[in-house]
Amino acid sequence: MKESAARSGNRQGTSGGDFKDCFRPEDYFTASKYFAPESLKEAVEILEGYGGDLKVLAGGTDLLVEYYERLYEVKGWLDLKNIPGLKEIKVFEDRIEIGPLVTHTELEKSENIKEYYPVLNRAAADVGSPQIRNRGTIGGNIITASPAGDLLAPLMAYDAEFKLVSTRGERIVPVGQFFTGPKRTIISSNEILSRIIIPLPGERTYGSWCKVGKRKALIISSITLALVVKFNKERVIKDIRACLGAVAPTPVEIKEVRKRARGKRIEDLNFSELGELVAERISPIDDIRGTAEYRRDVAREIMINALEEIAEKAAE
Amino acid sequence: MKKKGRGMATIMFGFGYGEGFPDHSIASVEIEKNGKILIRTAAADVGQGVLTVITQIAAEVLKVDPDRFYIIQGDTHLTKNSGSTSATRQTYFTGNAVKEAAEELLAKIYHYASLEFRSNHPQLGVEDGKVFRHDDPENYLTYWQLAEIVEKKGERLYGEASFFPRTYAPDPETGQSERMYVAYTFLTQVAEVEVDTDTGLVEVLKVDSALDLGKAINPQNVEGQLEGGTVQGMGMALMEEQVIREGITLNPDLTGYLVPTALDSPRINSCLVENEDADGPFGAKGVGEPTTIAAAPAIANAIYDAIGVRFYELPITPEKIIRALKEKEKNAL
Repeated sequence: MKESAARSGNRQGTSGGDFKDCFRPEDYFTASKYFAPESLKEAVEILEGYGGDLKVLAGGTDLLVEYYERLYEVKGWLDLKNIPGLKEIKVFEDRIEIGPLVTHTELEKSENIKEYYPVLNRAAADVGSPQIRNRGTIGGNIITASPAGDLLAPLMAYDAEFKLVSTRGERIVPVGQFFTGPKRTIISSNEILSRIIIPLPGERTYGSWCKVGKRKALIISSITLALVVKFNKERVIKDIRACLGAVAPTPVEIKEVRKRARGKRIEDLNFSELGELVAERISPIDDIRGTAEYRRDVAREIMINALEEIAEKAAE
Repeated sequence: MKKKGRGMATIMFGFGYGEGFPDHSIASVEIEKNGKILIRTAAADVGQGVLTVITQIAAEVLKVDPDRFYIIQGDTHLTKNSGSTSATRQTYFTGNAVKEAAEELLAKIYHYASLEFRSNHPQLGVEDGKVFRHDDPENYLTYWQLAEIVEKKGERLYGEASFFPRTYAPDPETGQSERMYVAYTFLTQVAEVEVDTDTGLVEVLKVDSALDLGKAINPQNVEGQLEGGTVQGMGMALMEEQVIREGITLNPDLTGYLVPTALDSPRINSCLVENEDADGPFGAKGVGEPTTIAAAPAIANAIYDAIGVRFYELPITPEKIIRALKEKEKNAL
């Protein structure tokens, strides 16, 4: 069994000939370790032992693509699939906790997510394709930390926090401090993301989501915008979060929007000015998904559209 | 803001290699002993359905159920040249070769049957794989019974034909030729688009198509080609772009080099115009490549209708639209 697995994995083909001095496929395969622990405690212990040598595996939709045709470079895998509780969405009095293995499809279908975090819900529905949404997870999206990760701007707009565990204990990091660069975060090689914690938004909270991509499915975003606005009883803006993806090295919140809009009624805001502000404060680059100029132009317009959408919803 | 527009384009496409190239196809049809009929052709079916089409053609000529046929395809040991599956030529070239081979075989069926029935061929009929005298249709021979009789005489119920139409190279001075291509396919499409002036994204809502194809041998197959070709053309109009910086292709895979997905595809209405105006089998003409051509100009025209900007370079990406709209606004001031 072992032998045949090795053979079928060897793409060079080794039929016939003398291979005494050659590379042996067996070495190749024993080099890569695979763990699928059944508890978080066990998982962090394994991780501690191997440090940065292990890749932590959730849905695999990013990792297996990144290492396509060079999986041998990965020294080992820590698969989270057998750990209980990581696939749950739990509602508490003041917050919802989402397990890192919750898939995009589950976020898309969950009534709780739909009710409390519609922006996150719609962003999940815009990820890739049905196949990718069925496999891909919220934890994977966060840890991959692509500037274009579709769930990241919504998580930022809802003030999410991430619980990281290691053998030394756990810490809770706010989303705003988590991402440090393109595909870089503050998570250490001995830590696992075990929970995504989002405060319940409360009444009179409205959201708007916009993903701009060059086609309608299977597309890496050119730009995303998650706008979440909380009003008080007097219809005054209590809080407003304008968060964007794919326009900077990390997902970003444009905090100046908060400064300018807080304490005002939405109809008293100058939407064009806020759109302009967003366009100015982002730091996009030119790439195959859009030029920097295009991203600034579009950021302005979708910000204006999002404000109009929320003004309309709030007026109902 | 979303702006709607509508645009039309008409194309013509001369198919086959043409221009004097010795383009031809050879095929054979034979009554086998096992109740089957064998077609041999080297025509490659790459998913376009040429094997379905030639089976229908042979079944039509021989008046027999298509299920009777099997095909040896593209075997250099067992088939003769059919030319490439390219230039939109297989239905026309191999279709004709198979039709002529089937007609040759039918003539042999009549000939040998007339000996058996002691009759002339106008008094004979064929139907459902049987040959009989019109005045006594119950007293028939199946093709396979006849084949056995013929075999005893040392002969075979076998037809082979080559379809080898002439074309002429263009005059180097004038570019004119007596017959540049074997025939021309025409397609007119009307595209309806919606341009989002905030993001530059173009949605193709609907494409109405009229395809002059002579004869649709398999209408469902033709519609499939037309829909697939239209979506491919739409990809060329709006998405397909190789991005090269300093000699390096930045999008060498389908993650970055985009073609439309099912969600991007418009509703496509097809009208098949059957004039039977060509020398193809039953008047059929090739439809493969022509179906990809009209979409891009029709969409470009529709975008012009929507936002008043002409584009002279494909693909018409969201960036180009936003840039053009900004220019337009500037010039209007």
